Amino acid sequence: MDLAWYALLGLFFASYLVLAGYDYGVGLLLARGVGPAGRREALTALGPFFLGNEVWLVAAVGILFGAFPLLEGELLAGCYPAVAGALVGVILVTVGVQLRSRPDDERVRARWDRVVVVGSALAALGWGVLLAALLQGVPLQADGHVAGETHLATPFAAAAGLAMVTLVAVHGATFLTVRLSAEAAAVVGRTARRLVPVALTAVALATVVGLLSARVRDAVQRPAVAVLLPVLLVAALLAARAALARRRPGWALVATGAALALPVLLVGAALWPYVLVSTTDPDASLRVADAAASAPTLRLLGWVALPLLPALLGFQAMCWWVFRGRTDGRAPVYW
Amino acid sequence: MDTLLLARLQFATTTSIHFLFVVVTLGLVTLLVGMQTAWVLTGNPKWERLTRYWGQLYVINYVLGIATGIVMEFQFGLNWSGLSRYVGNVFGAPLAIETLVAFFLESTFLGMWIFGWHRLGKGVHLALLWGVAITAYASAFWIMVANSWLQNPVGYEVRDGIAHLTDFGALLTNPSLGMAFGHVVSAALLVGGMLMAAVSAGHLIRRTPDFALFRTSLRIGLVTAALAITMVQGFGFAQFGPVGSVQPTKFGGDGPESQALIAEWTTRFGPGDYTPPALASVGLGFMVLIGFTLGCVWLLLPLLFRDWVIRLRFPLWLIVLGLPLPFIAVILGWISREVGRQPWVAYGLLPTEQAVSPVSAPLMLASLIGFSLLLGTLAVTNWVLLARHARRGAADPALGRPPAPPTEPAHPEPALL
Repeated sequence: MDLAWYALLGLFFASYLVLAGYDYGVGLLLARGVGPAGRREALTALGPFFLGNEVWLVAAVGILFGAFPLLEGELLAGCYPAVAGALVGVILVTVGVQLRSRPDDERVRARWDRVVVVGSALAALGWGVLLAALLQGVPLQADGHVAGETHLATPFAAAAGLAMVTLVAVHGATFLTVRLSAEAAAVVGRTARRLVPVALTAVALATVVGLLSARVRDAVQRPAVAVLLPVLLVAALLAARAALARRRPGWALVATGAALALPVLLVGAALWPYVLVSTTDPDASLRVADAAASAPTLRLLGWVALPLLPALLGFQAMCWWVFRGRTDGRAPVYW
Repeated sequence: MDTLLLARLQFATTTSIHFLFVVVTLGLVTLLVGMQTAWVLTGNPKWERLTRYWGQLYVINYVLGIATGIVMEFQFGLNWSGLSRYVGNVFGAPLAIETLVAFFLESTFLGMWIFGWHRLGKGVHLALLWGVAITAYASAFWIMVANSWLQNPVGYEVRDGIAHLTDFGALLTNPSLGMAFGHVVSAALLVGGMLMAAVSAGHLIRRTPDFALFRTSLRIGLVTAALAITMVQGFGFAQFGPVGSVQPTKFGGDGPESQALIAEWTTRFGPGDYTPPALASVGLGFMVLIGFTLGCVWLLLPLLFRDWVIRLRFPLWLIVLGLPLPFIAVILGWISREVGRQPWVAYGLLPTEQAVSPVSAPLMLASLIGFSLLLGTLAVTNWVLLARHARRGAADPALGRPPAPPTEPAHPEPALL
C-alpha cells in the first residue's frame, strides 16, 4: 500500500515535470528574440494544454498531503527556500501566460513575457534544487525536524538546478517543433538540437558533482540505480537529438519527456526504502513506510483514486487528442 | 516578531486574497452555465455574446484564484508542518480528494473550454462548462469538509499523540459543515450576481452600446443577488445553533458552556487564554449588518417592471456603489470563522502554536513579505485588467473570437526599423 502510493506520488510529480516542463521550456524560449508574433505563436501552441499541465503539481501535492502527511510538512518546511522559489516561479508563469494577452499594448505584453521567462527559470531551478536536496540528504534530527536551510546550498544542488533548467529548455523547444507550423518548427527544431549538447553538459556536470559529493554518496542506498539512471538520461537526450535530426519530433518529445521523468525515478529509487535520509543522525532517517498516512486513510484514498484515475487520464487524453497536430493561422488564440 | 504570528499573518493574507477571487469564480460560473445553456437551447446569438463577455471576465478572475490557491496548498507544508504531522492522517484526506476529484478536472475542462470555441461541437463545449461548474462546487465542498474538521474535529482517535482516521462519514456529517457550505455557496452566488448587476449598471449609466445585452445581465444579476442574499441570511442564521453547540467559545467565553469547556481545556492542556480575539465577534457583527443592508436588493426587483430600475437611474448608482459590500462581508465572515477557532488550529485538539513549522523568524518574515507583495501586486493588476475589460464592453472579447482569416501575414514585423 505504501509503495503503491509512493509510486503514484512519483507518477504525478514526474508527470508534472514532463507536462509543465514544456510550459516552462516554452516560457524560457520566449527570450529567444522571435518578436511579438513569434512569442504569441509559441503561446498559442501551448494554449489548450497549459491549465491541464499545471494541475499535476496541485494533485501531486494533494497526494503528498493526503498519503504522506509527515513527509509533506518536513520536506516543504525543511527545504523552504527551494520550494518557495519554485512556487514563486510557478505563480509567475501561471499568471504571466494567462494575462499577457489581456492588455493590447505590445510593450506591456513584452513585459509580461519577461515575467514568464523569469518564472520559468525559477520554477525549473527550484524543482531541480528540491530533487537534489532529497538526493544529498537533509539534516533531519531525532525530533523529526530538518535543522536550518543552509543544507540546500551545495554545488550539487546548484548543478542539479541548472541541469533542470537546460532540460526544460530542450523539452520546450522539442514541444514547439511538434506543435508549430512546419516553417516555424524547422527553425525551433534547430534550436532544440543546439540545446541538447548544453543539457548533456549540464547533466554530466551534475552527475560528476554528485559522485564527488560525500553527502550524496552517503545518502544513496542503491548506488547501481544512481549510476544507471543518469546514463539513461543521457541516452534519452541523445535519442532526442537523433530523432530531431531525422525529423521525427514526436519521438524526440517522448525522449525529452523521459529525460524529465527520470530524475524523479532516480531520487525515488536510489533512496528507497528511505525518502528523507538524515545527514546528521542515521537513526533519524525517514522511511517511506513511516512517512505514509495510517492504513485507514490510505484505504479511503485508494477507494477514491481507483475509479478516478482512469477519468483523470481520460480527460487529459481527450485534451491532447482534440488539440493534436500543428497550429496554423486558424488555431484559436487566447494567450 | 515570532514565527507563529508571522505564519498566521501570512495565512490570513493569502486566504483573504484567495477568497476574494474564488467567490467570484464560483458565482460567475453558475451564471455562465445558465447563459451558455440558453444559447445552445435557443440558438439566440445574444446568449453567445453574453457568455463570451462574462466568460472573459470569469477567466481573467480565475487566474488569481489558481495562483493564490497553489500558495494556499503549499503553505500548509511550508508554514504549518505540525498540522500535517499531528492531524494530517485526517485533515489531509479531504484536501487530497479535493485536488484529485475537483481541481484537477476543473482546470483540465477549463483549458479545453477556453480553446474549444469554434473547434468542438456546441454540445461538447457546453458539457465542458458544466464540468467546470460541477467540479468547482465539488472543490468548494471538499475544502469546506477540511475546514469544518478544523472547526470541529470528528471521526478520529488519537494514538501516540497523532490523530488517526476512524470514521470518514463523520467528516461529511459534521455539524459545522452543512449550513456553512450552503452559506459560502450562497455568498458566492451573491457576489456573482452583484458583480454582474454592477458591471451592467455601469454600462447602462454610461449609455454604452449593447443596451439590450446589459439590460439582460442586469436583470439576471439582480434576481440572482436577491435570491442569494436570502439564502445567505437563512444559512447564516441556521449556523448559530450548530456552531454554538460544537464551538461554544467562538464568539466569546462568557456562557456556561464556554466556561465548562475552558475549564476542561485548562486541566488537559494547562492554563492559558482560550478565548478567541474580539476580532471574531466584531467581524461577525459587521457582516450581519452588511447582510441586512444587502437584503434591500429585494426592493429593486419591483423596479425591473418596465425597466424602471434603468429609467430612474439612481438605482443603477446604488447597485454600483453597493458592489464592495458583498466582498467586505465575505472577508468578515471568513475572519469570524477562522479567528473564532483560535487559539486552536484544530478546535480543542491541536493548539495553533504547536502546528507552526520550526523555521526561523527571518525566513518566515521574508516569506510573508515576499508572497504578500507578489500576490497583492498580482491581485491589483488582475482587478485593473478586470475593470478595463468590464468597461470595454461586449463588442469583441478575445474569448471565443472566431479564428483569424488565413490572409494574415505570418511575419507582420518589419525587418528593419
